[in-house]
Amino acid sequence: MRTMLEARNIHKKIALGEDNVLHILRDVDLQIGEGEFVSIMGPSGSGKSTLLYTVSGMDRITSGSVVFMDQEISSLKEESLSKLRLDHMGFIFQDINLLKNLSLIDNIMFPALLEKHADKKAVHEKAKKLMEMTGIATLADNSITQASGGQLQRAGICRALINEPAMIFGDEPTGALDSKSAAEIMAILAQINNQGTTVMLVTHDMKVAAKTQRVLYMVDGCIVAQKHLGPYEESSDTLVDREQELMGWLVTNGF
Amino acid sequence: MFLKIVMNDVRRKKIISATVLVFITMAVVLGSSATNIIANLMQSIAQLKTHAVPSDLTQMHIGPYDQAAVDRLVATLGEHIAEQETMFLLNIEGSDIHFGANRTMVDTVQDISFVVQNRKFDFILDLDNRKLEIKAGEVAVPIYFMKTYSLNLGDVLRVESRGFRKEFVISDYARDFEMNSALASSKRFVINQADYDEMLAHQVGDMEYLIEFKLHEHGDLRTVRNAYRKAGLPSNGPTIEGKLFSLFNALSDAAVVMVIVLISLLLVVVASLCIRLTFLATIDEDLREIGVMKALGISRKDIRNVYLTKYKIVAAVAGVIGYGLSFLVVRAFNGNMRLYLSSDLSGSLQYVLSLVAPIAIYLIIVLYCRSVLGRIDAISATEALRSDIMQRGKHRKYRFPLLKNRFLGTSTYMGLRDVAIRIKLYRLLFFIFIVCTFIAILPLNVFNTMNSPKFSTYMGIGQCDVRIDLRKTDTITADFERLLAELENDSDIEKHAAYITCSYPAMTADGRWEYIIIETGDFSVFPLQYLEGEAPSDAGEISLSFAQASADGLDKKIGDTVVVQVGGVDKQLKVSGIYQDITNGGKTAKAGSSLGLQHDAILWYMVNLDIAPHADVSAKMAHYQSTYASAQVNGIKEYARQTMGNIIRQMGAIVIGGLAIAIVVMVLITALFLKMLLSKDMSQIAIMRSIGLSTRQIERQYMAGTMVVLLPGIILGVLAADYLGEILVSMAMSSMGAASIRFVGIAWQTWLVYPLLIIVVVGITLSLSCKVAVAEDLSVVLRS
Ligand SMILES: Nc1ncnc2c1ncn2[C@@H]1O[C@H](COP(=O)(O)OP(=O)(O)O)[C@@H](O)[C@H]1O
Ligand SMILES: [Mg+2]
Repeated sequence: MRTMLEARNIHKKIALGEDNVLHILRDVDLQIGEGEFVSIMGPSGSGKSTLLYTVSGMDRITSGSVVFMDQEISSLKEESLSKLRLDHMGFIFQDINLLKNLSLIDNIMFPALLEKHADKKAVHEKAKKLMEMTGIATLADNSITQASGGQLQRAGICRALINEPAMIFGDEPTGALDSKSAAEIMAILAQINNQGTTVMLVTHDMKVAAKTQRVLYMVDGCIVAQKHLGPYEESSDTLVDREQELMGWLVTNGF
Repeated sequence: MFLKIVMNDVRRKKIISATVLVFITMAVVLGSSATNIIANLMQSIAQLKTHAVPSDLTQMHIGPYDQAAVDRLVATLGEHIAEQETMFLLNIEGSDIHFGANRTMVDTVQDISFVVQNRKFDFILDLDNRKLEIKAGEVAVPIYFMKTYSLNLGDVLRVESRGFRKEFVISDYARDFEMNSALASSKRFVINQADYDEMLAHQVGDMEYLIEFKLHEHGDLRTVRNAYRKAGLPSNGPTIEGKLFSLFNALSDAAVVMVIVLISLLLVVVASLCIRLTFLATIDEDLREIGVMKALGISRKDIRNVYLTKYKIVAAVAGVIGYGLSFLVVRAFNGNMRLYLSSDLSGSLQYVLSLVAPIAIYLIIVLYCRSVLGRIDAISATEALRSDIMQRGKHRKYRFPLLKNRFLGTSTYMGLRDVAIRIKLYRLLFFIFIVCTFIAILPLNVFNTMNSPKFSTYMGIGQCDVRIDLRKTDTITADFERLLAELENDSDIEKHAAYITCSYPAMTADGRWEYIIIETGDFSVFPLQYLEGEAPSDAGEISLSFAQASADGLDKKIGDTVVVQVGGVDKQLKVSGIYQDITNGGKTAKAGSSLGLQHDAILWYMVNLDIAPHADVSAKMAHYQSTYASAQVNGIKEYARQTMGNIIRQMGAIVIGGLAIAIVVMVLITALFLKMLLSKDMSQIAIMRSIGLSTRQIERQYMAGTMVVLLPGIILGVLAADYLGEILVSMAMSSMGAASIRFVGIAWQTWLVYPLLIIVVVGITLSLSCKVAVAEDLSVVLRS
């Protein structure tokens, strides 16, 4: 298995005052292979989101190194980093973060249209396909005020997928959704992962984490443990087993 | 408690709060300075007139003079004439006045007169508008001469003439309402009675009389003028009506004042646009916050209080700062204007006047706040939280889908569609750009017009190299014949034309006879710019000056007939054209030589000539000047430079000033606008960056949006300055008695250099202020 993302010794400090330095990440090592489906758990404030943002190049690290698709990203210039994100990374957020002046389909197509010689027709086709896949095809021309949270999150996923990224990052994408919608979103993510896209999710929901292959547990800026659950096949009895297994593991880690 | 919430709010949104504060402060500074300057100027002009008490009718005269005859006339016209006073001018050659290191005033085109202050009216004032009282051995020098020869108080002027020698210490500036303007052809130096008598006793200078009349409020000028002519009283010289002084001032100093007033008014407009801009930019945020408060169950009254308190504090702080700053602006400005108009707003008045702007702005802001609060009742809390007020009315069709874009880059397209979507916001910026460009270009147009060779034809002067005026002396007719004969045989003279001006009785519209001045000669040699029609051909035609053709004069149009008496015989003349003239009282006429002369009423002779290219112009001029004692030889360029030079210099300063103001305002507003927009859009920008847009791409969006507003704004501004400006200036001018003014634009300046300068400066500002922050971690914004 090839390595998709590798973080070595990353450290993130924030100076709050004169001699008041907050260590959000402390010497974190992380390796994610191509095609993996990884979730990060941990108590609130343990640095999960920060880890996600730093390894994806949105936030700067204080020290250490992050290699994404064989590129050392902490030394990249802003412009090439943005390009890397545009072409190879997709993001899904808890509060969705769609652009407010664009319709759903325009939000989805927007990243693809930024390419200089984008084939508009092909992009449109692809967007429609993605919307069909996620079940929001009828909402294409709706504005973002004319869709429910779950529908918006599906649009968010479509947008993350439009440039066929190598890896998807999600910061609690199901956090604000009801359990039914959350399950549907997870199903979509699993499907994407099956098609070969690497996925890294931050979540505090055990049901969500149980559907991933590997769970990392963070406390106080460090990854303190990890659990291999193995690939998940869709069937409810295995899910209950996985949840129970995960539960036991989490409890031993002080969850 | 409210204060605490407000302070928290300000602390949380530092950039927006600071920008709003700066914007409103700027509005206060602009508004305050403008009201102050306008009030100041208006009051100064009115005060100057009140203190100077200019005459309503002035007859200039050289030759024998009989005061008793004038007194007899005044006695019969008691119902019209309030006061009469004759000023005795001692006209001194510029070459006889020495100053500094061996310099004289020989090169001036102005007539220099030494006078004693009047007793009844037409006073000459000092810089504080006080009646000048000059001590023996001292002289008050007209502002024009102080400036032209860079004289200072305390300098010494020496008059040397015919063996007489006397020194005067310059003790004051002379501000002369009637002759302040360089357009008035003579200037009055004020001295003490004893010195005057001494010069008179030594026969220094030539005597000229200003026979001045001050009318009652309802006195009829025309009656007095005609009675004066009929009585055969001294009239060897032009007759000048009081209105002309206003016109002179209008075309010179007042033109400057008017342009300044116009700029000030426009700045008030800009100020109010700024306030509106501020509100539009912050209203979403405010509505959202009010929505949050509403959702939390805070009472309407408390919401109102928090919101109003916030803006009241901002408006008050901005008001105080702006009020203070405006005095600096006004002081800098008044320093420059003080010479021309006393700017002496008495005591506390200016402090009160300057309060108008901050108070008005405070009230406007409170009103805006109330209208924002009014909207809260119209929309629900969740609505306020979710959507954007700019696009409320959500059933509107979705506009500008990305696929509609065929030709532009996606970033550029996003910028343009943002303009279309938030048109209310960008529209204000657009207006501001138009107004600022107008402010920059209008003075330039006025300046170019005044500076253009064509403008001299507004002064009734045909385009020629040199003009020779013959002053009335005993030998004038013989001199004139001799001069013409010599010019005829002088191979260095390319062409010349002689003009003789007499006064003729002419029939007015209401059937009375009135004396008018008609210049006769061949007007095809040196053509004049005609407002309408053309120069009179020789037979049976006459052209009238704009003032003479107006209702106030003969009241004629082109094609009308004017009846003129020549040597006792009535002649019918058809009006062939109307021209602009501000010389000789503004009411003049021109007719072919065949009209014939009114031999007992010849006023003056004038010759215009062009000198051949190979000849030495100054040697030629010197030759004619010295050969003919009664001749005054002037180069037209020099003449125009001296009469218009001062005002052109002032206007030049305004051109620079206007451009500077416009650019500073545009730069500030553009920078603030973008700061506000960028911080308002902070979360949207963060989203775009998280998707993978580079800061360059995002900046391109904002650049495209602002540029698409800037460019048409500038073009419209230039157009407005050209066409609307011309109409405005013409209106102002014709209200003062001059005909319409046509702008003489210099295309490469108005269309190329200036707009380019503005575009470059604002463009640089744009690219500097359009900086999307990169240093910060993206998640900081995304998570907040
Ligand atoms: N920009 C920042 N400034 C100050 N503190 C921060 C900043 N970003 C994160 N933190 C702090 O770092 C810690 C980790 O944050 P986060 O990564 O969001 O944790 P999690 O996602 O696990 O809840 C938290 O205590 C948070 O308050
Ligand atoms: Mg988090």
